[in-house]
Amino acid sequence: MEQEIEIMTEIKSETTQVVTPAVRGAIAMQLNNVAVAFHGRVAVRDCTFDVAKNRVTSLIGPSGSGKTTLLRALNRLHDLTPGAKVSGQISLEGTDIYRGNLTVTELRTRVGMVFQRPNPFPTMSIYDNVVSGLRFNGIKKKALLDESAEASLRSAALWDSVSSRLKVAASNLSGGEQQRLCIARALALDPEVLLMDEPTSALDPIATLHIEELMKTLKSRVTVVIVTHNMQQAARISDDCAFLLMGEDRAGELIEFDTTEKIFNNPDDSRTLDYTLGRFG
Amino acid sequence: MSDLIELEELPVEAEHSMREEIRRVSERMRGRRVATSRVMVALCGVALVVAAVPLVALLYQLFDKGLSQIDWSFFTHLPETPTIIAPNATGGVSNAIVGTIALTIYASIVAIPVGVLVGVYLAETESKLATSLRVVSQTMAGAPSILMGLFAFSFLVHDLNIGFSSIAGSFALAVLMLPVIIISTEIAVRNVPNSLREAGLALGAKSHKVSLKVVLPSSITGIVTGCILAISRAVGETAPVLLVIGGGFTNSWQPFDPVSAMPLAIFENAKSEYPSQRAQVWGIALVLVIFVFLLSLTARIWASRKQQVRN
Repeated sequence: MEQEIEIMTEIKSETTQVVTPAVRGAIAMQLNNVAVAFHGRVAVRDCTFDVAKNRVTSLIGPSGSGKTTLLRALNRLHDLTPGAKVSGQISLEGTDIYRGNLTVTELRTRVGMVFQRPNPFPTMSIYDNVVSGLRFNGIKKKALLDESAEASLRSAALWDSVSSRLKVAASNLSGGEQQRLCIARALALDPEVLLMDEPTSALDPIATLHIEELMKTLKSRVTVVIVTHNMQQAARISDDCAFLLMGEDRAGELIEFDTTEKIFNNPDDSRTLDYTLGRFG
Repeated sequence: MSDLIELEELPVEAEHSMREEIRRVSERMRGRRVATSRVMVALCGVALVVAAVPLVALLYQLFDKGLSQIDWSFFTHLPETPTIIAPNATGGVSNAIVGTIALTIYASIVAIPVGVLVGVYLAETESKLATSLRVVSQTMAGAPSILMGLFAFSFLVHDLNIGFSSIAGSFALAVLMLPVIIISTEIAVRNVPNSLREAGLALGAKSHKVSLKVVLPSSITGIVTGCILAISRAVGETAPVLLVIGGGFTNSWQPFDPVSAMPLAIFENAKSEYPSQRAQVWGIALVLVIFVFLLSLTARIWASRKQQVRN
């Protein structure tokens, strides 16, 4: 299936030469007319786009445009909120994540999440934090956990600074290190997609730079979807970009989805241009 | 052009006169403010003395009359009944000390696991059952403690006919401890930030695993403090055990034997016709107070250590 798509896109790109989202290669997640409502009040709607594999997709837009709400629908975190309802279709590798035969726990091991504020488990050591996802899912073999802890910390560019103090409480780390620990914790489950909800908004510029560089290296093994308030960040790190805006009824909606290059250089919608040029938001 | 200048100057002038007005009024008010402040501080001082005097007097009397009663045999010997020939023979209170420890341990074995689990359940779920459990435990927390004793007496001692025993007393104490543990556990668990729950769930953990492996360890300080508070309360309670433990005169750890307890020994000895037994009351009270103090001190030290490790 994957191969088929790749072949098809190859043929297409030869003939059309235009890189549009439809022809970027294999697709990790598909969103079809997705909307999220809380107690009947629509928070975000009309979201239809494909998240391409091994690329960074950013969700941008002003406050209240539903970026985070949409992101949290992708690993069913709204399931916990009373009165929340997700409609439309979201699929992961062709399987509907809300109605298909994919349990919510399995989905969340395949679609990881990094939150806005670093949230390592305060009672656990650095090591225990990294392997917590594996332990939650029943993996107990020490050798396996050790191996995964090292690999994940290396992937998150944290191994060199913490390898000598793995048993220290995670709260001893700096904010930037804590966020990288959270990334390592998510990577330990070897997810296909990594959702990041403004992962650098609570960090200083240097820590932000570290995380951004990390994202660029990570996309070879994981598809990244990132919500960001920071347009420069979206321009720097993302390959594709979804622009959302709050409509007149205060519900967020997708205005435009395309490659980051197009969104920032010659978008189809004038509102997208106004936003990326900093005229509002 | 000249209109424009006038318009711009006007608000500046207005602001200036307002500043002067504020300055003038505040000058006038200053004396009154200082006086009010002094009166209030003095009132606080008086209130502090009123609150502290009875407490200090109580502790002074406790140590003054209690210390002389305590020696080694106080802890190791059984009580003796004074006679006309030996009116000062009171013996020790080892049975009451053993009884109190046994009662507290049995009550804790039941009340702590049940109370903590119910508290976690109340904090982590929203349901009609949770709401009614919460109302019941809050009502129970305010219920007079003699009620627990009465209930244990009529249900265990009388209806089930198990007799005056430490198991009946620990039952009454466990019922007394439960609401304290439930309420403090619920508060501690609710204080765990939601971001930690989400972090656990986002790693594919089932919600009961998140409660057990993430939420419970993060709230353990508050839970343990609540449990120790409940234990300290149970140790000192007289009413629930008065009717059901039977006041045994042996050092018995057996759940079905009648036992004594420190509060009960105070109650019984205080009614004695022998001055020597009435004097012993202060010794028992002192030991009880020190016991409760050590418990709460342990809880405080433990909690602050735990907090330091985390920071």
